[in-house]
Amino acid sequence: MRKVGIVGVGHGKFGVRSDASLRELVFEAVKACLDDAGISLKEVDSMVTGVAGDEFAFNIQPSAQVHDYIGFYPKPNFRVEGACATGSVALRVGWMNIASGLADIVLVVGVEKMNELPTNMATEIMGRAGDAIWEYPFGTTFPGYYAMIANAHMAEFRTTEEQLAMVAVKNHYYGTLNPFAHMQKEVDLNKALSSFTVAYPLKLYDCSLITDGAAAVLLASEERAKAISKKPVWIAGLGLATDSMRLGDRKSLTSLQASREAAKTAYKMAGVGPGDIDIATVHDCFTIAEIVAYEDLGFCERGEGGKLIEAKETYVDGRIPVNVDGGLKAKGHPLGATGVSMAIEVTKQLRGEAGPRQVKDAEIGLTHNVGGSGQVALIHIFRRG
Amino acid sequence: MEFRNFSLFINQTKVSRFADELGAGKIMSTLCKRCGKQYYPPQADCPSCMGSEMEWKELKAEGKLITFTKIHVPPEHFAVRQPLMPFSSVQFEPCPIGLLEVEDGLRIMGWIPKVDLKKIRVGMKMKASPQTLPDGKLTIILEPIW
Repeated sequence: MRKVGIVGVGHGKFGVRSDASLRELVFEAVKACLDDAGISLKEVDSMVTGVAGDEFAFNIQPSAQVHDYIGFYPKPNFRVEGACATGSVALRVGWMNIASGLADIVLVVGVEKMNELPTNMATEIMGRAGDAIWEYPFGTTFPGYYAMIANAHMAEFRTTEEQLAMVAVKNHYYGTLNPFAHMQKEVDLNKALSSFTVAYPLKLYDCSLITDGAAAVLLASEERAKAISKKPVWIAGLGLATDSMRLGDRKSLTSLQASREAAKTAYKMAGVGPGDIDIATVHDCFTIAEIVAYEDLGFCERGEGGKLIEAKETYVDGRIPVNVDGGLKAKGHPLGATGVSMAIEVTKQLRGEAGPRQVKDAEIGLTHNVGGSGQVALIHIFRRG
Repeated sequence: MEFRNFSLFINQTKVSRFADELGAGKIMSTLCKRCGKQYYPPQADCPSCMGSEMEWKELKAEGKLITFTKIHVPPEHFAVRQPLMPFSSVQFEPCPIGLLEVEDGLRIMGWIPKVDLKKIRVGMKMKASPQTLPDGKLTIILEPIW
């Protein structure tokens, strides 16, 4: 397998982007990405597009909108999907393209345009990301699934609603330091705890946002990466694992087995362990998900995730900084773009370009991206060049 | 009996008998005739031995609540619309749902209509029963065993 590096990153502004269509959002990210790499689209061999929902895109072939609008045809482009982990699936497929020798330079794009639909329709579409036959008839929603994980975690480990809210406080704080983040507003513990209940025990500030946005990264083979970039960031490990579709079929409701399996594979491939990670972006679609991720990734023992945030160990100057770009919570969660955006944050951190959010001398970074309520998880480990 | 009386949207499946039985007061699982693996929700096929010869078996639907929630912001299909009468409003009080673990670790999802949210505890003993709703739809409820 050939070594693959990130040589360019481009992040569009996340938010309620009523000013732009899906294809226009992609253009912003691709332009920024090519500018960052300092190459033209003509030099790119192929492309992978991550879009999660046909329903959101109003199009059964959203990838065509993308390669059409940026003028990429007739070169290869296709769409990949992995629910909320779509962006990481796109990155993985981009990596496969180069590792296999099929291409030398690949553009990976993630995008979602979620606010073309009213919020309750978006909620319904995401609620059906569980089992549409056996769970949805009970009115399940996405917050509902994670609320059930939260109640199980609180019962087993005495995790508290305050600890959940502390994740929101951290991620909102870092969101204000990230100009691309959807939410540019700090929230204090009281405000988070007194916000209305979405699905007990999750409140408004425990939930990520319905966001429009696009992100793009440029991948290259070792030889081309060294020629293009002074600071390539290498993809050192990849892990993907799956789990049952229904929450009810999971062995544990307090841990995501797919995350644990994917982490094992990625750590092994990269030859590192949890203690070697300097910076992580994890899938905090809900605050409980970040706490569970701390445990599944080995940043703390099982059941200790609540204490880790309480001790502020996941802040920039803590033992293991997590989601210091605002996370899905404050940066927003445009499904297809999220995994790509995570890789961009880690790349910036490893290049030392994260500004006020910079983790000192970060050398190894990790992204953790979950699809659905844990049906699929992807973990990527990156190393500074 | 239409399967969508239970599933709401999807009507075409090999296990549509589940809805008939639910209407007759039984929560049914399927059992693989070849390897004996039991499925709830019922499956027409057994990935354990790749067999498709299944028999129906009523579930002993008593066990322990393993988790629950109360969804205040429902999906569109369940959403309450505001009345057309000016200056009036509808108060929405959703019903909690939960997951009950029964025989062989099988889990049944159901509504919890009769227990106040504050009194629902992970680990409480409950039973699952079929319920026919006023509009003829079929569902499952979880009730405490006192």
